[in-house]
Amino acid sequence: MLTRIKSLGFQRRTQLLTLAALLTVAAAAALAGVHVRHEHLLARLLTTDTEAVVKDRELTAFAKEIAKPLFAANCARCHGSDMTGNSAIGAPNLTDGVWLFDSGDVFDIERTILYGIRSGASKSHNVTDMPAFGSTGRLSASEIRNLVQYIDQLSRRPHQAQAAIEGRAVYFDVAKGNCDDCHGYSARGNSNYGAPNLTQNVWNSGGDDQSLYAAIYYGEHHIMPGFFGTLSLEQIRALAVYVYMASHP
Amino acid sequence: MSAVPKFNSLSRGWRQIAAALTARPQRAVLLPTLAALIGAALAGFGMLHAAPDLTIVPPGYAALVNNKGILLSDFQAQTAALTGKPFAQTTRAERDKTLRDMIDEELLVQRGMALDLPETTTEVRDVITAAVNAQIDAGARGQPPTDTQLEEFYQAHRAAYSTPGSMTLRDLVLHVGGYQDIDQSTAQAETDAAEAIYQLRSGAAVDQVMQHFGLVDSGRADSGEALDFAAKLHLGAKLYQVAETLTDGQISDPVPDSDGVHVLVMERRNPPRLADFGSVRAKVYSDYMDAAAKRAQEAGLKLLRRDAQILLAPGMPAPGMP
Repeated sequence: MLTRIKSLGFQRRTQLLTLAALLTVAAAAALAGVHVRHEHLLARLLTTDTEAVVKDRELTAFAKEIAKPLFAANCARCHGSDMTGNSAIGAPNLTDGVWLFDSGDVFDIERTILYGIRSGASKSHNVTDMPAFGSTGRLSASEIRNLVQYIDQLSRRPHQAQAAIEGRAVYFDVAKGNCDDCHGYSARGNSNYGAPNLTQNVWNSGGDDQSLYAAIYYGEHHIMPGFFGTLSLEQIRALAVYVYMASHP
Repeated sequence: MSAVPKFNSLSRGWRQIAAALTARPQRAVLLPTLAALIGAALAGFGMLHAAPDLTIVPPGYAALVNNKGILLSDFQAQTAALTGKPFAQTTRAERDKTLRDMIDEELLVQRGMALDLPETTTEVRDVITAAVNAQIDAGARGQPPTDTQLEEFYQAHRAAYSTPGSMTLRDLVLHVGGYQDIDQSTAQAETDAAEAIYQLRSGAAVDQVMQHFGLVDSGRADSGEALDFAAKLHLGAKLYQVAETLTDGQISDPVPDSDGVHVLVMERRNPPRLADFGSVRAKVYSDYMDAAAKRAQEAGLKLLRRDAQILLAPGMPAPGMP
């Protein structure tokens, strides 16, 4: 190629060289422009109020662009690549709009990503967990079975009526289940504790009777790591927006 | 006068450069183009690696305190928690107070680190080690045991799940020497004790045997029922080891001790009983989780030791670290 260039006349070589130089400068300018835009959007993503971010199409598209590979690398292992969760490990479905903690807005999701759940950090969600009623001997096997029937009744599923009545008694008995303490009188849960709503028929660890039995027997102590210090604030914000948008299509 | 020769030499220099450029016409294009490219590269590098402006709070932070950030998210969460209402509904005054308190707290924390409080204050060390251990054992606490694992743990730690035993006994002693019985020799005391034991085992009254052989209450045993741990404390290990094997009404063999020859009369013995698994499940579960957490913490420490450079001064005992 050099030989070919050298064989050209002086004027032609000069033109080619000028063109190459101009193209290089143009490419550098374009890259710089992309970088500047990227930095600008990153700053906007963080400085825009969490409620306003989700109303901004440019920001949500930008967040999705950043978050998609991050989710695949850091979150899909538990929540699934399709974000629908994994009942074997109690990892919630992130697309169903049902949230264990707080209200499920971007701010709340962001805090969960920042500090995790029962991760050992004091800023994580760690008020309580589901006790192991069977393992600790607090409830007998039959009491747990009755409780399961009551939960079936609460979520409007087929159930054994008499067992459900007995299960309800266990639910409210302070010395036994005392379930209303966390799940509430109406069993609609408590997002301060991460106590699920038992009436929606939405289950992190499986909703069939066997899974419910196991959840009451062995308890639920699932852990989500915090990503503060592992991911940047911009990445965490992007993930929070991405997860929010997945449940608000 | 001196400026003119300088000007002449400068213009001569430029003329030489121009001549060099025009001698080879390609240089007229090549060199400026090269210069433009180098300039563009420098500009790009400068833009991509711009030093952070320390006078601006970076996005995502509410404040910087000595370059240490207070997260905006933390500030909003703290304000909401302290006021009991959503952040959007908090007043300016409430937000100001929260942020001021958070800044003050950060200042104190930084001051504490500067004063090396972890070195000088045990409470700080305790809190830090507890916090680190909480992070280490979080994973272990998230893995609840199966029933089989619980049962195995219970069997392996039976002593922890036994009810405390108790005993009501009399500890009689034939003193040897000392002011109590100067003429009594150990051999004589052992002979007398053996005879006394024979009579007691044959049904003779304790008080009668005591009077006959010169046995006295040692003062070590409690009058009345004593839990095993208390009995052990009072009797001492040697006598307790004998006592715990006796059943109701049994008399021990002679037990020589520092103050004479002892004879233990067990009036009533409630040995420790292993609690039924079902009745102690909650404790077994709790102990299991604590043991798992402890194992995780020990594994964490092992890693820390492995990666640390630990030097011991000469003569210091080596604490068995890997």
